[in-house]
Amino acid sequence: MLVEQILQTLVAGLSVGCIYGLLCVGLALIFGIMRVINFAQGDLMMLGMYLALFIATFVLPSTIFGLAAPFVAALVAGPLLFVAGYLLNKLLISRTTGLSVSGLSEGDAHQAQLILTLGVALVLQNGAHILLGSNPVSIVSPLSSTAWEIPLLYDDFSAVFLNKARTINAVICIALSAGLFWFIRNSRLGKSLRAAAVNPEAALYMGIDVARAHHIAFGLGTAIAGIAGGLLVIYYPVQPHVGVDFVIIMYAGVVLGGIGSTSGAFWGGMTIGLVQQMSTLVMPIQLQNTAIFIVFILVLLVRPQGLFGRVAERA
Amino acid sequence: MQDNRARLKTLLIVAAVFAAWLGVGLVVTNSYYRLVLTLVPIWAVLAISWNLLSGYSGLVSFGHAAFFGLGAFTLGLSIKFLDLTPWFGIPLATLVGAVAGAAIGYPSFRLRGTYFALSMLAYPLAFIAVFEWMGLQELAIPMKRDAPLWYAQFPDFRAYLVMALALLAVATVISLRVEGSRFGLSLLAIKQNELAAEAAGIDTFRWKMRAMVLSAALAATAGALYTMVVLVITPASVFGVVVSAQAMVLTLFGGAGTFWGPLIGSAILVPLSEFLNAELGHILPGIQGMVYGIAIIFVVLLAPEGIYWRLRDVLARRAGRRAAEAPIAAAAEPAPAQVADVLRPPIGPVILDVRGVSKTYGGLKAVQQVSFDVREGEIVGIIGPNGAGKTTLFNLLNGVVMPDEGTVTFADTAITGWKPSAICRAGIGRTFQVARAFTRLTVLQNVATGAFVAHADDAQAWAAARTMLDVVGLAGRADVLAGALTSRELRLLELARALAGKPRLLLLDEPLAGLGSTETQEMIALIRSLPARGVTVVIIEHTMHAMVSTVDRFVVLDHGALLTSGSPTEVTRDPRVIEAYLGRKWAGINAAA
Amino acid sequence: MLQLEALDVHYGGLQALSGISVSVETGSFIAVVGPNGAGKTTLFKAISGTVTPSAGRVMFEGQDLAALKAHERPHLGIAHVPEGRKVFSDMTVLENLEMGATCDAGRARWKDNLELIFAMFPRLAERREQLAGTLSGGEQQMVAIGRGLAASPKLLMLDEPSTGLSPGMTDVIFDSIARIHKQHGLTVLLVEQRVAEALEHCDRAYVLEAGKVSLSGSFQELSSDDRVRRAYLGM
Repeated sequence: MLVEQILQTLVAGLSVGCIYGLLCVGLALIFGIMRVINFAQGDLMMLGMYLALFIATFVLPSTIFGLAAPFVAALVAGPLLFVAGYLLNKLLISRTTGLSVSGLSEGDAHQAQLILTLGVALVLQNGAHILLGSNPVSIVSPLSSTAWEIPLLYDDFSAVFLNKARTINAVICIALSAGLFWFIRNSRLGKSLRAAAVNPEAALYMGIDVARAHHIAFGLGTAIAGIAGGLLVIYYPVQPHVGVDFVIIMYAGVVLGGIGSTSGAFWGGMTIGLVQQMSTLVMPIQLQNTAIFIVFILVLLVRPQGLFGRVAERA
Repeated sequence: MQDNRARLKTLLIVAAVFAAWLGVGLVVTNSYYRLVLTLVPIWAVLAISWNLLSGYSGLVSFGHAAFFGLGAFTLGLSIKFLDLTPWFGIPLATLVGAVAGAAIGYPSFRLRGTYFALSMLAYPLAFIAVFEWMGLQELAIPMKRDAPLWYAQFPDFRAYLVMALALLAVATVISLRVEGSRFGLSLLAIKQNELAAEAAGIDTFRWKMRAMVLSAALAATAGALYTMVVLVITPASVFGVVVSAQAMVLTLFGGAGTFWGPLIGSAILVPLSEFLNAELGHILPGIQGMVYGIAIIFVVLLAPEGIYWRLRDVLARRAGRRAAEAPIAAAAEPAPAQVADVLRPPIGPVILDVRGVSKTYGGLKAVQQVSFDVREGEIVGIIGPNGAGKTTLFNLLNGVVMPDEGTVTFADTAITGWKPSAICRAGIGRTFQVARAFTRLTVLQNVATGAFVAHADDAQAWAAARTMLDVVGLAGRADVLAGALTSRELRLLELARALAGKPRLLLLDEPLAGLGSTETQEMIALIRSLPARGVTVVIIEHTMHAMVSTVDRFVVLDHGALLTSGSPTEVTRDPRVIEAYLGRKWAGINAAA
Repeated sequence: MLQLEALDVHYGGLQALSGISVSVETGSFIAVVGPNGAGKTTLFKAISGTVTPSAGRVMFEGQDLAALKAHERPHLGIAHVPEGRKVFSDMTVLENLEMGATCDAGRARWKDNLELIFAMFPRLAERREQLAGTLSGGEQQMVAIGRGLAASPKLLMLDEPSTGLSPGMTDVIFDSIARIHKQHGLTVLLVEQRVAEALEHCDRAYVLEAGKVSLSGSFQELSSDDRVRRAYLGM
């Protein structure tokens, strides 16, 4: 009985962890590469949730896409949010980051950037509130209430249940993360993004348009957050202020994984998912987020370079 | 004198605003507007508390709601379960806030910059979960009809307005006392550069802790008052991200690091958003947050440091234009006396003894086995080509970097392994390669940050700062903002600030960088006058030019090791020095020629 | 090819360069020497566009560069090997070289250039999969120069390639620079503190002192001029 419970919790942790992992990868692109503390990341995720909901409900004909509609909708939301993120950085955020701010001292420029993303977050949250109301909504899919049953071999009565929607989500998240790692590691554009992150000045001397590289990184980070949100909305209801709960999870995962490391961020998010779910075995369920915060603060204090990262080059 | 008059003027303006606010509050009958008028001072106190920590020290707190909420719940719980009067409950909340500030600050100050900010984000969110788990989803203050005054439950709502304004008055006085004081200036120094502050003798950890405790206590008090006014609180309403955001936004909108910032931000943004919420809230829910968001975006784009600083810059520029038209009398400073050399005291015993210090970074031997000594009253130049390890050596001397091996002895005391602030207080001062003046402060205030370290008494510190301005010839510019100085004046300011700490040994990091030839001569004369004031000098420079006529003795480094040392004439004729500077082949050519 | 006309640069209130005029002819090897803090790196940054001159012009092949942003200039054929090497430390040697070949000319000749770079610096071929941050200072300098060559540039600008290197390694680096110039006819603009090494191979040198050109001439002229020594040592 206990084994069954632990396994079931582990499965829940892994499936949540995959989504958190993808969310963290999105933030790592922005926070890790550009060193922008983006407060609005959770709200960009919220945008993805509404967008996917809208697309799945009104755009995709269910006769063609059937049960796949919610997942396709999440993926379609990605490119739209890429454009949004690219423009957001180009028109607003980049005015307060590194390259264009020379007159301000570093501390002041830092504060300006921080407060700007806070402003964007407030506008997105409350804009959504005004336009869409505050009732939580989610995509209705039969997949989110059915499960595959995996019998446990040691007796005939025990089994672990895999929620279908969550399992499909987890697979998509792993595939997307893997694809993104490949892109960052091996593609020419991915390498340029890394070069621009490691040493912007030298990247300029190579002829890399560093400002554009930052727009792309921000766009990608936004798209990833949006897709993860779109997948999440299949079983987690969206309301305008949903992002707040996730921002802390994302930062916790990124710091855990080591700032600047996209693969580390995935494992950081995964760890957060596992801690959150496994903590319910020993703690009241209301305190599962407290467990995350405790882990987060402990990691910051004991090992700020993260659990999975190399030694951070600048602390 | 002028300082006091300015302070009086500020007080009068603030008092007038308070009076006007109170007047409006007493007249207004609409109960919603009364609530808003009461909440504005409370949010202003929270913003002031945020400013005291984050605005001055630059350590951004994303989690001030933690303290606000603790204060709010302390008061609520103390009435509901302990039947305690708020007259005790409010001080209790203040105390809880202070303790929480210390408890959170102690571990968190090990973190810097982004990491600190992020860690602060977690605390209030953790509190929400804990309080909800404890079954405190909603806490209402019970009505005490039998003894309303004892429980501070006034039939006339205007009493709360008076209380809120009274708290704001207290916060304002605290804030005003911090601005430009030892406390405020130390925090600003930390904001500018924590390492440099530490090197200037400021015990950064202690000042940060003080700021945190004071700030948290104020925030908790504001929270307690908030509970009394709104009567019902939930964990989300007092610990929520919106509360932390509000503290930040109001301050940053008005201008961080100034007394005026939180007041301006609160006076404009809170009524504006509340008014819109009252008028349009029923058709456009969330309009309040929208206003905050849009206001922030515009401020960042148009006045990224906040409204106060932008206004002040505009006014300063206008004043500057007027001043430019008037003939400048202060420009002709008397050059420091050339007679300084005549007055030089004889060279004394060894004051600094460096024995076999080494420092390795990764595989790079930045400094290896360097030994030399400096005698009291000497002027010694440390020179060497780029990458020779000069700056690392300086960092080893004043404790910014710990040596892997070797010892540093200053005035017969082993100071190896001491903190920079302790070494500074022991009598080793330092200037930095890039002049780090506080552009927003006056010249005098800049120098005072250095003087506070050596003078326990504030009045003495200010007097010492003025004296040092006299010494370097900047007395006429004492009340000018440092941001308006020329590069020559900035160098002099830097020197005055270091001297104000009463060092026995002064480490100068490239004091001549960026100076023209006459300015260089002036600076050299000044440096040569220092031994007569009881200051021994060690200078780093890579241009040897000006140095040969400045120093008594050179210590030459190359590839992290001591190459040679000796008088300027000896050193410049030394083939090894020529090789290090001009290249091996050059030495060969000249030897052959 | 490159013409600097009365260039002034200000940093904050400081005048870093004043009235600099330097010309670099196609196929030549020009050196700018001078003590530290003379403004050599600032001069390079003004050419590359990471510092904006307050007066004067930078002309490349008859075109005024003022209108071009920093990241557009390498595409004209200007390769800047920055001071302190500035390799992409988290990336492999090969990836670093690949970044050097960002512009079209470099991409078109990528294979040939790579062979040439590896022939010149065999150590890089051995360590092509190693992270650049883990290399020694000399090897990192090879990466930085290789990155410049990978762009197939018309003009190669080298900023203090000898900084922090041992004398032996300095010789290796300078010999390879001389070889690049001689064998491939590449135009080279070198900024260097170590006068002798810089002057040995160059056609003409400028001595920069406190932001101004104080002397210029050939190796023979300058090496016998005691003013050069005084520029460095003060007496």
